[in-house]
Amino acid sequence: MLRASIEHTGANYNLDGVIGDGDGGIPHGGLLIEFAEAAIVGDDARLSAAREQVLKTLGPESLVDAAGIVATFNAIDRVADATGTPIDEERLEPTAEMREHLGIDRFPSAAAG
Amino acid sequence: MTEPTYNIPGVPVREAILEAHRSTWRRISQPGGWFDGQTRVAIAAESRNAPSCTLCAERKAALSPYSIAGTHDSLGSLPEEIVEVVHRIITDPARLREQWYEGILAGGMADTEYVEIVGVVCSTVAVDTFADTMGVPRPALPTPESGEPSRRRPSGVKPGHAWVPWIAPEDASGPEADLYDGGTSNIRRALMLVPDEQRGFFELVYAQYLSGSEITDFGTDCRAITRAQIELIAGRVSALNQCVY
Repeated sequence: MLRASIEHTGANYNLDGVIGDGDGGIPHGGLLIEFAEAAIVGDDARLSAAREQVLKTLGPESLVDAAGIVATFNAIDRVADATGTPIDEERLEPTAEMREHLGIDRFPSAAAG
Repeated sequence: MTEPTYNIPGVPVREAILEAHRSTWRRISQPGGWFDGQTRVAIAAESRNAPSCTLCAERKAALSPYSIAGTHDSLGSLPEEIVEVVHRIITDPARLREQWYEGILAGGMADTEYVEIVGVVCSTVAVDTFADTMGVPRPALPTPESGEPSRRRPSGVKPGHAWVPWIAPEDASGPEADLYDGGTSNIRRALMLVPDEQRGFFELVYAQYLSGSEITDFGTDCRAITRAQIELIAGRVSALNQCVY
């Protein structure tokens, strides 16, 4: 979806921020990555600091929306993993290069079948 | 019934999210397709208990979770096979394997029951993660409602590309005709074996992420953060969870 969004906007973003250290070139990407990461690893102090920063920088509506995305994907990932749901066939070929580049095909769930 | 509410000074939570969380709690409290309300609420409670399980921690640290035998630290209100499913989905979902799923079914659990557990666990995760991420207490679990599960296996179910069977678009008819409203992606099919779990889970997705039509509309910003920011967060969360989907 990030790839599709980048293609649509034509912006000079990159996908490395999803996996690596970068911010994807996306405005406030580093802050949002820190927020998401602190939430998923369950580091309360780190999350509290990131939450304050998101609130101060992006505002309350953005904080709620960002938290909603974190919550949704923490759940959707589990639905996919627990049901053995594969990537949609039409997305396999277009995302092959990206998955290889980001190392996604080496995730444990890639061998789940 | 206790309904989720969030009082955060200066940070109003969108009504759509509030309503989806309230609806989720009502759904969990009521009899489902295959479990009564008491069991469904117990599954939600066990979801919250799983991170403190010693066996799960040992398995998580092991090269293979399948090499460690033992008994889960559970709340004691569910059969061990349900506890195993709940704990594994919560604590180590990326290393679930089809062979493990088949073993669960071979132990006597029906595929419908399995999918219902997935739906209740993941709906609980969605609500709890939102509260945790916002830094507010998780809502108290709902009080179970009485009644019997419907025990209705939808028509048109057949094996697809996942471990669990689902309903193909051409077979979604009658009471299941609405299941593809909003898209045909595989993830939308994953819970179709228990249609109300699919509907309820996607109500959460629509409220917290984007609706079916918004997901494929890259030209309109539907939230306070941009689409690229949304997908960056989504991608990072899935990468941390090591989820390929």
